[in-house]
Amino acid sequence: MTSRLEVSVRKVLPGFTLDVAWSTGDGVAVLFGPSGSGKTLTLQCLAGLVRPDAGRIVVNDEVLFDAGAGIDLPPQRRRVGYVFQGYALFPHLSVRQNVGFGLRERPRAERRRRVDEVLERLSIAGHADRYPRDLSGGQRQRVALGRALAIDPALLLLDEPLSALDLPLRQALRDELRTILVGWGTAAVLVTHDLTEAYRLGDRIVVYEEGRVIQAAPRSELLWQPSSRSVARIMGLRNVLQGVTLKATSDRIQFRWRGQTLEAVNSPTHSYLPAADSPLAFFIRPEYVRLIRKDRDQVDSAHHMNLMSGTIVREVDFGATWILYFRLDEPGAPAQGDYDLEVEVPRLVYEILEIDRDRHWRFSLHRGSIHVLPSA
Amino acid sequence: MSPDNLSALRLSLQVAVAATALNALVGIPVAYLLARRRFWGRGVVDLLVTLPLVLPPTVVGYYLIVLLGRRGVLGAPLYELSGFTVAFTWYAAVIAATVMALPLLVRTVRAAIESVDRDLERAAYTLGRSELRTALEVTLPLARNGILAGLVLAFARALGEFGATLMLAGNIPGRTATVPLSIYTAVQTGESGEALGLVAALTVLSCLVLVVANRLGARAA
Repeated sequence: MTSRLEVSVRKVLPGFTLDVAWSTGDGVAVLFGPSGSGKTLTLQCLAGLVRPDAGRIVVNDEVLFDAGAGIDLPPQRRRVGYVFQGYALFPHLSVRQNVGFGLRERPRAERRRRVDEVLERLSIAGHADRYPRDLSGGQRQRVALGRALAIDPALLLLDEPLSALDLPLRQALRDELRTILVGWGTAAVLVTHDLTEAYRLGDRIVVYEEGRVIQAAPRSELLWQPSSRSVARIMGLRNVLQGVTLKATSDRIQFRWRGQTLEAVNSPTHSYLPAADSPLAFFIRPEYVRLIRKDRDQVDSAHHMNLMSGTIVREVDFGATWILYFRLDEPGAPAQGDYDLEVEVPRLVYEILEIDRDRHWRFSLHRGSIHVLPSA
Repeated sequence: MSPDNLSALRLSLQVAVAATALNALVGIPVAYLLARRRFWGRGVVDLLVTLPLVLPPTVVGYYLIVLLGRRGVLGAPLYELSGFTVAFTWYAAVIAATVMALPLLVRTVRAAIESVDRDLERAAYTLGRSELRTALEVTLPLARNGILAGLVLAFARALGEFGATLMLAGNIPGRTATVPLSIYTAVQTGESGEALGLVAALTVLSCLVLVVANRLGARAA
């Protein structure tokens, strides 16, 4: 089944204006951006809970809203499933009653069959008669999904579906959510401010900032080519670099970058096997670059991998840390404007190593600190 | 307890129950609208239902006479049409008690409704429920303890109503003389024994009401 969602919405609120236009096809579209950038408001417009001042919303071939034509379907008639932040399960109803809530119009027997089917598919049949307060975070998420999916929505909306969970659970449920979304095949729009979540869950990522869309692209493209500095900033990524694959196995990837041969750990959950000579995107967190102390001259190859050397071209004092901009000794154009790598060091390290006087350093990138971005 | 006292007690309970029922009928919808809707005149409605809380009861009673008395704004046409007038009847006591209790109910219920997560209502809308059905199936059931607490408070207030009742309904033994009015009469005529029985009865009832209200309040929190 192919689906198509076209959104253009303008809504003026006191002190905030939402003015966005984007479209998406099958799969999951992620609205990504900082809090207060208008993501949830967009979902509410899609669901008919907030009426835009202008614009047009089309799901597949059905016009849900068209300011020009005076069309504004109420939420009750939009067939849009909504998974709320914090899930908004009805606390006074059992799991079965929650999941069946949207099926009231259907005959009793059919309603029962549908609820059983949904509970079964989401593996929560065993909890059918329990109440939301007795469920774990993961079970609540599944009940919320089940309630929204039971009505066979043309479109599924999810607002920060993982934010109610603590971190370890979050990561496990992220993959579970992905499996469920792919398994049900319902076109979905998901809101998150977490880049990993956006990347894991989205087929297409729409980047929001202050009520506007600053980039909308398939996820791989977004990481390869952030369209602007603000996209890169919002994504919180620094040192996003591009190399050329030499050799990839299920646990290691070797590649060339700026005249160096580097080795990275392949993703433990999903191994990427790019062909030799194909381009490869990766990033390194600035705080994970290790400067090598000159007073301990023994370079230990077990600990010091991916060795390089370079000169500081600029530095910025952030109080607790310093950001150093290094240019490699390697000839050729620097990878990021006038520098190759951004390196963050704690203030104490900066002072002990007397970095203010010594501008040339060797450093290493641990292979576990190089994050390879799949192009798929 | 004397037959007069018993009839006063029965009348008081009757009035309080009727006033509480009217409060539920009028006050809950008003509380819902104030909590959830932005409409023209909302501020005025809010003011009107809160005013009896701060106005002296005799002033409220005076307004009720202006409104419902035989020559009142609504009372006169009613008398013309039916020959019936509300003033100095059992109904007058009910109306006075209802109006005086309304602020307590509306404020309590409104707070309870406002504390219901709006996303629950939004979820119900996306699942096909109309606003009315959502209110009946989601909002009000979840505000249940607050509503019950409000009703209990309204009942207590109605039971103890004095000033507005005296103005609109008078103090007619057996017809409009509720317990508070009978206590006043008994004290005025020097029958302190009679007064004591009624005072004790009202004190016990009020304590009961407070205990119930506190229990409900604790559960609602």
